[in-house]
Amino acid sequence: MDSITGLLGGFAALANPETLLYMVGGFLIGTFFGAVPGLTSVLAIALLLPLTYSLDVTTALVACASIFMAGMCSGSITATTINIPGAPSSMMTALEGYPMQQRGEGAKALGHAALGSMIGGSLGALLLMVMAPLAADVALLIRTPGKFSLIAFALIVIIISQRGSITKGMIATLFGVMIATIGIDVVQPLARFTFGTSVLVQGIDMMPLIIGTFAISELLVQADSRSSRTVDPSKIQAAKVRRRDFIPPLSEVREIGVMRYLKSTVIGYAVGILPGAGGSMAAFVSYAESMRSSKHPERYGKGNPEGIAAAECANNSMCGGAFVPMLTFGIPGDPTTAIVLGVLVINGLQPGPQFMTQQLGLIAPMFASLFVSALILIPLTLYLLGPYFLRIVSIRRDVLYSSIAIVALVGSYVATYSTFQMALALVFGVLAYFLRKQKYPTVCLLLGFVLGPSLEEYCRRSLSINDGNPLIFLTSPDSLFFIALTMVFFYFMVIRKPKNNGLGAPPA
Amino acid sequence: MSSKQLPQRSSRRFALGGEFYVPAALAIITVVYLISAIQLGPPMKDGNMTASFFPMATAIVMLIALICAMVHALRGRAKAAAEETIANAEGDDEIPSGKQYAGLSLGAIGVILLTAGYLLAFDLIGYFVSTFVYVLLLCCLFGGGFRQKWLSRLIAAVVITIAGYLLFEVVFQVRLPTLWSQ
Repeated sequence: MDSITGLLGGFAALANPETLLYMVGGFLIGTFFGAVPGLTSVLAIALLLPLTYSLDVTTALVACASIFMAGMCSGSITATTINIPGAPSSMMTALEGYPMQQRGEGAKALGHAALGSMIGGSLGALLLMVMAPLAADVALLIRTPGKFSLIAFALIVIIISQRGSITKGMIATLFGVMIATIGIDVVQPLARFTFGTSVLVQGIDMMPLIIGTFAISELLVQADSRSSRTVDPSKIQAAKVRRRDFIPPLSEVREIGVMRYLKSTVIGYAVGILPGAGGSMAAFVSYAESMRSSKHPERYGKGNPEGIAAAECANNSMCGGAFVPMLTFGIPGDPTTAIVLGVLVINGLQPGPQFMTQQLGLIAPMFASLFVSALILIPLTLYLLGPYFLRIVSIRRDVLYSSIAIVALVGSYVATYSTFQMALALVFGVLAYFLRKQKYPTVCLLLGFVLGPSLEEYCRRSLSINDGNPLIFLTSPDSLFFIALTMVFFYFMVIRKPKNNGLGAPPA
Repeated sequence: MSSKQLPQRSSRRFALGGEFYVPAALAIITVVYLISAIQLGPPMKDGNMTASFFPMATAIVMLIALICAMVHALRGRAKAAAEETIANAEGDDEIPSGKQYAGLSLGAIGVILLTAGYLLAFDLIGYFVSTFVYVLLLCCLFGGGFRQKWLSRLIAAVVITIAGYLLFEVVFQVRLPTLWSQ
C-alpha cells in the first residue's frame, strides 16, 4: 500500500511547475537529439549530467527519464522520412517506414511509430513500477559472493553481446575497469596508480569519462564531415509531412492486433533488463519475432506497419526494463542508466535492494515521467511538431557542434571548478575517438568503469569471508545460480549462435 | 626489385594500420599499469587479496586480449594485402580518402588543438573571451572556413557565448572565471 501511495506521489510531483518544465524540456531535447542523425539521447543525458550538480535530484531524474523515452521514439522521424535512422534503435523502423514514405504514407508510418512507442513506453513504465519492488525483494536475498557473480554475469553478457567483436568488447570493458582502479583502493586506504600526482588520488570522476566518451569524441568524429547541415535540405522538400495524416487508421491497428503490441512490449522490457542489450537489440528481436509470427511475412521490408509497431513498441518498453537492474542491484545495463546512476551517485545516493523502499519518494517522479512522456508527450509532440521536425533537425552543423562543445567542456568544469576535469574530458574524448574508429564499443568502456569497483570489492570481501578460498563462489547458492546463468548465456550467444532469419546480424 | 618481393613489402605496409596500433598503444598503457600494480606489493597476503591482486589480474587478462587483437589485426591485414596484391599488383587503394596524421583527420586535429587552447585560455583570460574565440574558430572548422557566412558565424559565436553564460552562471549558478576576476 505504501509503495502504491509513493508511486502516486510521483505523479503528483509532476504537477510542480518546475519539475513539469524539466520533463517537457527534457522531452523536447531528447526528441531533437534522437531525431538528428549523429546525435543520440545518451549524448543529451551526458550533457545534462554536469547540470545535475545544481539541480534537485528528483528534477534531474525526471529530465533524464523524459530524454530517454523521447530519444527512443524520435529516431523514427528521420528513419521514416529520409531513411536515416536518427538513433540506432530506429534501424528496424527505417526498413518499413521508408518504403511507406515512398508510397506517400510517411505520416501514417510516423503515426504507427508514435502509437507503438506510446503503448510500449507506457506499458514498460507500468511494468517497471510493478516489477522493480519485486526485483528489489529478490535482490535482498543475494549475498556478497552472489553480488560478485551477478556483476561478473552482467559484464560478461555486455561483452558477448558485442557480436563480431567480442575481443574488442572485452578490451574496452577491461580498460574501463582499469581506469576505475585509479585512486583510493575500494577496501584499504591506499592510493593506487596516481603516478605521483595528487590530482589522481581521488580517482577519475565519472563525468569527464562520460563527457569525453560521448560528447568530445562525437565532435572529433563529426569534424571529418564536410556537409554544412545535419540533414540535407533538398531531402526535406522531397519529404513533406502533413499533420492530418498522422493518426493511423483503426483497421490497420486492428490488423496489427493487441497481442502483437503486448508481445513486443514484453520482449522490449525483457531485453531492457539484460545488460548491454539496449534499444537496438530490443527492436531487432521484436521485429524478427513479429515477422516470424506474422500471417504475411512476405510484406515485411516493403512498408508493413506491423514491423514498425513491433520495433517501436519494443524499443520504448526497453526504457522501463533498463531501470530494473540499475535501481535494484545498482547494475546499469546500458549507457543511459549508467549516467542516471551517475546522477544518483553525485547526489550521494547508492541504488540497491532497499533503495526502492527507502528512496521511493525521490525516484517515483522518474517512473511517472517515463509513463507520462510515453503516454502523453510522444503523441502530443508528434502531432504538434511533426510537420516541422525535418526543418528543426536540419540545422547548421557549425552552430550545433560549437554549442555542444561549450556545454560539454564548461559542464566538465562544474564538478570541481578546475580545468583538470576539462582536460581529462579531452583526453578521454581523444581515446574514445580512436576506439570508435577501430569499432571498439565505448559503451563497454563506460560500463566497465561503472561496474569495476563493485566487482573488485565483492570479490575481495567474498574471499576474505572464506579465508581466500575461491570455492565460496561455487558453494554459495546465489553465486552458483549466476555462474550457471552466465554459462547458459555464453552457450546461447557465443557457442550456439542465433539462426540467420534473413535480417543479418542483430545490432550490438 | 623483383616482382616476388612485392607482396611481402605490401603486406608489411598494410600491417601498420589503426587495427594494430590501437591495441598496441593500449598494450603499452597496460604494461605500465601492470608494473605499477606489481609495485603495490604482493597480490596475496595471509590468504587474502591485497590492493594489487585485482589490477594485476585485470592487466594480465587485458594483455592476453590485446595480443589476440594484434595477432588478429596482423593476420587480417596480411591476408587483405595478399589478396589485394594478387588482384591488383599495381593498385594503390590504401590511400585514405582524407589526409590522416597519426590516425587523426585534419578536422579532428583542429578540434583537439582548439580545445587544448581553450582549456589553457579558460583559466587565464576567463570565460567570455576564451569561449567567444573558441566558438568562432569551431564554427569556422565545422562550417568550412571563415570567408563564407563570416557575419552569421560572428553572431553565432556571440549568441552561444552569452547563452552558455546565462545557462551556467545565471540558471545553474556556476561561478565561471572572468577576465576581471583573474
